[in-house]
Amino acid sequence: MKNSTTTNINHHKEEQQHHPKNDPSTVSSIDSRFNQTLKNVQGLLKGRSIPGKVLLTRRAEPPDDPSIQSPTFGRSFSENDAGGRDHMHKSTEEKDQSTSKRNNEGANMLNPSTSNIDNTSKETHKSPMTARATDSTRVTKFTKELSVPTVRLERLRELGWSGVPPYMRPIVWRLLLGYAPPNSDRREGVLRRKRLEYLDCVAQFYDIPDTERSDDEINMLRQIAVDCPRTVPDVTFFQQEQVQKSLERILYTWAIRHPASGYVQGINDLVTPFLVVFLSEYLEGDVDNWSVSNLSPEKISDIEADCYWCLSKLLDGMQDHYTFAQPGIQRLVFKLKELVRRIDEPVSRHIEEQGLEFLQFAFRWFNCLLIREIPFHLVTRLWDTYLAEGDALPDFLVYIFASFLLTWSEKLQKLDFQEMVMFLQHLPTQNWTHQELEMVLSRAYMWHSMFNSSPSHLAS
Amino acid sequence: MGAYKADDDYDYLFKVVLIGDSGVGKSNLLSRFTRNEFSLESKSTIGVEFATRSIRCDEKVVKAQIWDTAGQERYRAITSAYYRGAVGALLVYDVTRHVTFENVERWLKELRDHTDANIVIMLVGNKADLRHLRAVSTEDATGFAERENTFFIETSALEATNVEKAFTEVLTQIYHVVSKKALEIGDDPAALPKGQTINVGSKDDVSAVKKAGCCSA
Repeated sequence: MKNSTTTNINHHKEEQQHHPKNDPSTVSSIDSRFNQTLKNVQGLLKGRSIPGKVLLTRRAEPPDDPSIQSPTFGRSFSENDAGGRDHMHKSTEEKDQSTSKRNNEGANMLNPSTSNIDNTSKETHKSPMTARATDSTRVTKFTKELSVPTVRLERLRELGWSGVPPYMRPIVWRLLLGYAPPNSDRREGVLRRKRLEYLDCVAQFYDIPDTERSDDEINMLRQIAVDCPRTVPDVTFFQQEQVQKSLERILYTWAIRHPASGYVQGINDLVTPFLVVFLSEYLEGDVDNWSVSNLSPEKISDIEADCYWCLSKLLDGMQDHYTFAQPGIQRLVFKLKELVRRIDEPVSRHIEEQGLEFLQFAFRWFNCLLIREIPFHLVTRLWDTYLAEGDALPDFLVYIFASFLLTWSEKLQKLDFQEMVMFLQHLPTQNWTHQELEMVLSRAYMWHSMFNSSPSHLAS
Repeated sequence: MGAYKADDDYDYLFKVVLIGDSGVGKSNLLSRFTRNEFSLESKSTIGVEFATRSIRCDEKVVKAQIWDTAGQERYRAITSAYYRGAVGALLVYDVTRHVTFENVERWLKELRDHTDANIVIMLVGNKADLRHLRAVSTEDATGFAERENTFFIETSALEATNVEKAFTEVLTQIYHVVSKKALEIGDDPAALPKGQTINVGSKDDVSAVKKAGCCSA
């Protein structure tokens, strides 16, 4: 670890030498170009005349537009801040052209004020959307990336951000969450060990009589038992008793091992994407026709273990979202309100005039990561982006949710307080397809590029 | 406030909260009352949800703004913020799960800590259709309601039994208190700003109303 850190720092230094310091006039001109782009985008979105596809295309035309960058850029700060597992791989595993990008990220961290320009100039020739040119080239890229002895997580994030081919999701998600190690030699061994560890936990905490549980634990188990049958009830698969039992074991084991938060309603929803993705390795066809009764207990246990560990990894980055008074969520709701004010002043003013609090509708969004708000068949695609964001996810959620909310900017301005609350509780997303979701994500990405790197926009 | 024109007309707007343990049927009581709907597949409530319905009391239109809250204790820090300004509460337990009745006392304390002393409270024993599973007797609940000076009713959101009555009773009681109070101080009740907290009046008013009629069915 010590070595890798040193290497990183050296790279940073090199990188800075390659990039002469930018003068302030350039910065301000870029700023105004950002503003112009923002206005254009707002115009497009308000007019609703531009379907998502056009916006997606715009994303793929980076040379003319400094605001369009690879998603990697947005992650740079917290990725570096986070240290830990990713740093381990960074210095040793990046040998090719992506090395320069990584170094660039390091430079950002050391000198945030110049980060825009560096990234803009360096990243403009790249775009995540080029990877989507055709599905088969995407699949080829994933296949190539996954076949190397040590997977380059950074590259995988970049690819995964725009969606992972369904049959590759299990392996990609395990890697992105840091559950499976990038080194393929170690992978099987680590997973085997982790799955056994889960089995031990279940035996130790779940498979015991109530007499050995504290009152709080009994309450928690009761709460989980109340919630399992009401987890994604509109998807019949989750109504199977065996599936609910798996859910209960995962949730209870997680709750016991995370006493700072314990089980909080809504975390049950968060297990469901993992369940369907890891089950998809064994079951074929439509989720609604799946049955787990033909799976061996060993397989079910392995799947549960994967869900458990991936849930743990996901929530590790959001610990204070579920502790007392849920300060993490409150903080993000506040950020969302601020961001919406910057992006769409009229709707922001309307919401305020009507006395609608963001907490009144956005709390559930953050608590359940939007699972409740979109059709279940779109959730795994949304989570590809979540998991690709990695440690930067909480902050990026703010952008996704702003983009989601402002899908209905015009509509909202015609509603009064009560109508708004009810509209936002039951958003008309039932017939959404991937196109609407991609629109939300693209816009989030764009706004993130514009605002997150330019705190001055938020301060004005 | 009041800069917009609402498309519905009402004389009074009362804020009412639905509280009680997780899974007792709060959300289904609300959907039964406001939309005449019931779902066996409902999801847990996260944070708060909201619905409205208007009823008539003495030729006046009373609009109920009902806040449905999450039952889990962890959410109380969030949900208790919504108690503010509530003039009525339905405190729900599940007649088939005794523990949800045992917790009523804590909910009551929670309510009294966060609301005006004059709030009209209705204790609601839901899921009364599950007769063979009953774990809380009507007598126990009646006794509790009398001691705590709350109203009491048993309901079934599934069979639509007494749901209408539970809500209208609460709203009517609030209306009586408020209109009496308005008469006393010469307020024009129709001038009450929409969405604003309505003071129910002094403690004596409410107790007087409560003695006048308890609707335990």
